[in-house]
Amino acid sequence: MYTAKFKGRFLPWLFLTPTLVILVVFLYYPVVQTFVLSTYRVAFLGLRKKFIGLDNFVSLAQDTGYWHTVWVTLIITAVVVVGGLGISLAIAMLANRDLRGGSIYRVLLIWPFALSPAVTGVIFLFMFSPGFGAINYLTEQITGSELNWLGNPRLAITLIILASIWRNLGYNVVFYLAGLQNLNTEVLEAASIDGATNWQRFWKVTFALLSPMSFFLLITNITYSFFDLFGMIDIVTKGGPLDATNVMIYNLYRDGFEYYKTGLAAAQSVILFAVVVGLTIIQFRTTGTRVHYGG
Amino acid sequence: MPSKRILLVIVSVFALLGLVSACSGGSTEPTSGGEKVVETVIVKETVIVEKAAEEQIPEGATVIDFWHAFGGGRKLLIERMVADYNYTHPGVYVRVENKGSYRDTLNAAILAAQQGNAPHVVQIFEIGSQLALDSGIFMPIEDVVQGPEFQPDDYIPAVANYYKINGKFNSLPWNSSNPILYYNKDIFRKAGLDPEKPPQTFEEMLSACETIVSSGAAKNCISWPLHGWFFEQWMANMGAELANNGNGRDARATEVYLDGDAAKTILNWWKEMYDKGYYAYSGKLEDWDGADAIFVSGQAAMEITSTSDVVNRQNDAAENGFELGTSYLPYPASSERQGVIVGGASIWLTKDHPDNELQAAKDFMIWFTNTENAIRWHKATGYFPVRKSAVDVLEVENWFELNPAYKAAFDQLLETKETKATQGALIGAFPEVRTIIEQAVEKVLAGEATVDEALSAAQKDANKAVQDYNKSVE
Repeated sequence: MYTAKFKGRFLPWLFLTPTLVILVVFLYYPVVQTFVLSTYRVAFLGLRKKFIGLDNFVSLAQDTGYWHTVWVTLIITAVVVVGGLGISLAIAMLANRDLRGGSIYRVLLIWPFALSPAVTGVIFLFMFSPGFGAINYLTEQITGSELNWLGNPRLAITLIILASIWRNLGYNVVFYLAGLQNLNTEVLEAASIDGATNWQRFWKVTFALLSPMSFFLLITNITYSFFDLFGMIDIVTKGGPLDATNVMIYNLYRDGFEYYKTGLAAAQSVILFAVVVGLTIIQFRTTGTRVHYGG
Repeated sequence: MPSKRILLVIVSVFALLGLVSACSGGSTEPTSGGEKVVETVIVKETVIVEKAAEEQIPEGATVIDFWHAFGGGRKLLIERMVADYNYTHPGVYVRVENKGSYRDTLNAAILAAQQGNAPHVVQIFEIGSQLALDSGIFMPIEDVVQGPEFQPDDYIPAVANYYKINGKFNSLPWNSSNPILYYNKDIFRKAGLDPEKPPQTFEEMLSACETIVSSGAAKNCISWPLHGWFFEQWMANMGAELANNGNGRDARATEVYLDGDAAKTILNWWKEMYDKGYYAYSGKLEDWDGADAIFVSGQAAMEITSTSDVVNRQNDAAENGFELGTSYLPYPASSERQGVIVGGASIWLTKDHPDNELQAAKDFMIWFTNTENAIRWHKATGYFPVRKSAVDVLEVENWFELNPAYKAAFDQLLETKETKATQGALIGAFPEVRTIIEQAVEKVLAGEATVDEALSAAQKDANKAVQDYNKSVE
C-alpha cells in the first residue's frame, strides 16, 4: 500500500477543508436536522414545531398505509433487481459474442441509461396512455379489450417495473459486458476439456466468476429502486392507482411537501437512511468474503 | 395523424428534459386546485424569459418580489403586465418569478419567510387559503388598503364570498375559474342529438350518453379528470357543505361531511357512468391533460373542466376541426342547482416589510387586479373577470355575444346562490382531504368497495387528517 507523508499535521487538513465544508453543510447538517425534525410535530416546513419524542415513528408503525408503501417498495425492488439483472446478463452474454457490427449493438444497448428516470417515465406514459398510447393501441387490437395501464393497480405496477428495468438495462449491461470481457478464457477452456456442459460452463464458471460484478450491481440496483424511481412515479402514476405504486420515497415527498407533515416525513427519511446504512454495511462486510474475486 | 403524435412526443420529451435538468426530482406538473396550468414550455419562450430575468434593476428603485405559479403563455402575459407596471411606475421595480406549481409556490414562500426573506406578493391557490392564514407569514390586505383605492363592492358576489374570510378580504382575488361542460357539437349531430341542447342534469347526461355511445358517434361519452375538485363542486351545486362549522367559515373545521346523501348521489352517478363505458379518464389522479386528450381526440363527446381552459379548448377545436359548445356543470335533478365554488387563486401580501416596500407592494397588487387588467387577463386566458366594472366594460364591447364560449362560464357564476356550500370550504388539511376523496372515487370505480364503504372509510381518514392538522397549528 502506498502512503504519502506530509510534513506537519496542518497541511492535509487544509487540503481536505473544501470537501469537508461541502460535506458538513450539504450532507451532515441536513442529516442531523432530519433526525431532530423526526422527533417533532412540525407545521409549515418548520414555522411551528412541538417536541413529541418518537410519536412520529409510532404513528408510522401503526399506519397500515405506510406498511403498504413498504410492501410496494419491496415488491418493486425485488422484481426490478432480479428481473433487471437476469435480463441484463442474458443480453450481455449475447452481445459479448463475436458478431459483425457487434460494437454498434453494444453502444445501442447502453442508450437507455442516458435518460433520467423521469424522461423514461414520459416515454412509457406516451406508449401506454389510454386513448392515444401506441402499445395501448396494439394490446387493444390483439386482445380486443382495452387494458387500463394507469387505472388498474396490477398493470400500473407492472408498467413502473417494466420502465424501471428498461431504464437501468444499459447500466447493467455495460458492467456485465466489462465483466465478461475480462473473464479468464482459460478457465472456460479448461472446463470444456473436463467435459462440462454449456449450462455447467455458464453456471459454475461464468456466473461464479461474475459474482463480484453481480454483487456490485445488486447493491446499486437496490439503491436505484429505492430512491431513483421518484421522478418516474411522479410523472407516470403519481403513486396511484389506489396507492399501488406509492413507494416509500414518494410517500415521504407527499407527506412532506404536499400535506405539510414535515415531522412525519422526516421520520420516514430516517427510516430510509437506516436502509441505506444497512445496505452499505452489508456491502462492506461481504466484500471479499462471500463473493468470488479474481480468476 | 401519426406524424403529429410523434412530434408531440418529441417536443414533450425535450421540454421535459429541460425541466428535469433544471429541477431534478421536483414536481413539474401543477397540482392546482380550481384550474389547470397548462405547461407549454417551448424553448423559445424559455430564452425570452431568461433574458428578461437578466434585466437591470433601476438604481434606487424599491424592489418588490412577486411569485406566481403559471407557466407557458400565462407566464409571458404576467411578465408583460409587470413590465407595463414597471414602465409606468418609476422608482418601483417589480421582480416577477415563477416558482413551479401552486404547492411549490406556497412552500417556497414559507421557506423564504423563515429565512427572513419573504417575497412581497405571492399567488396562493384557493384551497391553500386556510394554510396561508395559519402560516402567519401574511397580513390581511384589507388592513393596508384604505379609502377610494380599494373598491370591495366591485367584486362579483361569488368571488367576494369566497375570499372574504371573517368578513375581511385577506387577499385580492385574481385568477378565478369554475368547472363547465365543453362539448363537441359535431359528435352531437352525428348521434342525432340537438347540438344546442347539451344535457343539464345527471339523468339527462345518462340518456344523452346512451345515444352517443350506442350510435357509435364516439367511443366514450364524457371525460373529466379524476380530481377532488369536481366532487367538491357537485357537493356545492347540491347545496351540501363539505365541512362542519359552516364549511369552516364560522370557526375552524374539525370534521368533514363525506358520507351524506349528496356525496352518495354523486358517487353512484359517477360509478354508473363509468360502468356503462360513458365516463373515461386516463387512469391517473388529477390528470387534466389526460382528460383533455380524450375529449380533443374525439374519443369522448364532452369534457368537464375549468373555465380557464376556454381559450385552450377553442384552439384545440379549431386545430382538430370540430365545433365547440359550452354549458353549465350538470347536477342531479333531485336537487336544485345551487351553483359553483370559485376556484383558482388570489394574491397575498406578506408581512414585516419596511413601509415604503409595503406601500409599493400594495399599490402593485391593486394595479395588477384593477378593471383594465382584469379584462386583459380574462380575454387572454378564460379566467373570468372578478370585477363588476370589468364585466360592464365587456358587455359594452358585446364581448360575450361575440364569444359565446365565455358566456356559460360567466353566467353560471352569476347565477350561483350565496350559501355556505357555494362559498367553499376552508380546511387546513384540504390538500390531503382532496387526495382521500380521490382515492375513494378510485376504489368505487375499480369495484374494490361499494359507494357506502368507500365514503365511510374516506370520512374516517379525512377526519383524522383534519384533526392532525389542527393539532399541528394549535
